[in-house]
Amino acid sequence: MTPVISLLLTLVLLGCSGPRPKPLPDLNGLLRQNAGSRREPSLAQRWLASLTLRGGREQVELMDLGARQPVPLPGLNRADAQPISVSVSADGTRLAVVQQRDERTELVLYRRSVGTVQRLPLEPPGVPRAVSLNADGRRMAVQVSRGGRWEVDLIRLP
Amino acid sequence: MITPLQGRPTVQLRGEDGSIRSVPQLRRHQPHSSPSLSWNGRYLALITQRGKRLAVILDRLNGRLHPLPLPGGRDPIRLSLAPDARRLALQVADKGQWRVELLDLSELLEPDRATGQTLTTPPLENIR
Repeated sequence: MTPVISLLLTLVLLGCSGPRPKPLPDLNGLLRQNAGSRREPSLAQRWLASLTLRGGREQVELMDLGARQPVPLPGLNRADAQPISVSVSADGTRLAVVQQRDERTELVLYRRSVGTVQRLPLEPPGVPRAVSLNADGRRMAVQVSRGGRWEVDLIRLP
Repeated sequence: MITPLQGRPTVQLRGEDGSIRSVPQLRRHQPHSSPSLSWNGRYLALITQRGKRLAVILDRLNGRLHPLPLPGGRDPIRLSLAPDARRLALQVADKGQWRVELLDLSELLEPDRATGQTLTTPPLENIR
């Protein structure tokens, strides 16, 4: 095969591959440095909520990707609480969290503007496992265990 | 949400009215996991199984499926799609630790903006 044909074939193949997702090395490097371990990502426009491991304890972290630093979450990460799942609204003002505390698993809503944690009871009662807040922060889907079955509850929020 | 269909965890869409819609483009490559929708539901991101775990994004407007192989051949564990579908967060395993990595999708997908969002062009500076 002549070099010219080989070059043309390469160009054709590159053209067929189309646009691809691109890693974000700056932000990914920052996320690696910032915590020993990070899981359960919930991505909003400029916010990333996740569970990070620091000093042997897992906690909820909300990273402002624009400012490239975590924001304080006063009142949320209690020493006796073990977070299991987290989800953030698109504007970063609301966080829904499933956490274990006092040997029970609970669903809570954290409002950053006022720094309050509101416990959200499940009806009928069940054990929450995972939560997903919709973009406007007004509805959430909760994976709940009831009688050995997984169910998904949709909850409207004020 | 993920529902067992014929014993295989399969993604389905549930409307606010409780109606269930299957996703024809995703009848295969189970088990499915970690479904994530964009703002208006145009894009559905999830993890599928094609020999190994593979993150994909379905454009429900045109039915196109975008596979997202990870650099280094790593397996995605969980994912979260930004509401406007400009970025994707992926949880992966790296040297015994969980990591979260971000991907820029802006050259791959049109944004799925919030309904009623005002769109403006950048200010025309330096134009006389």
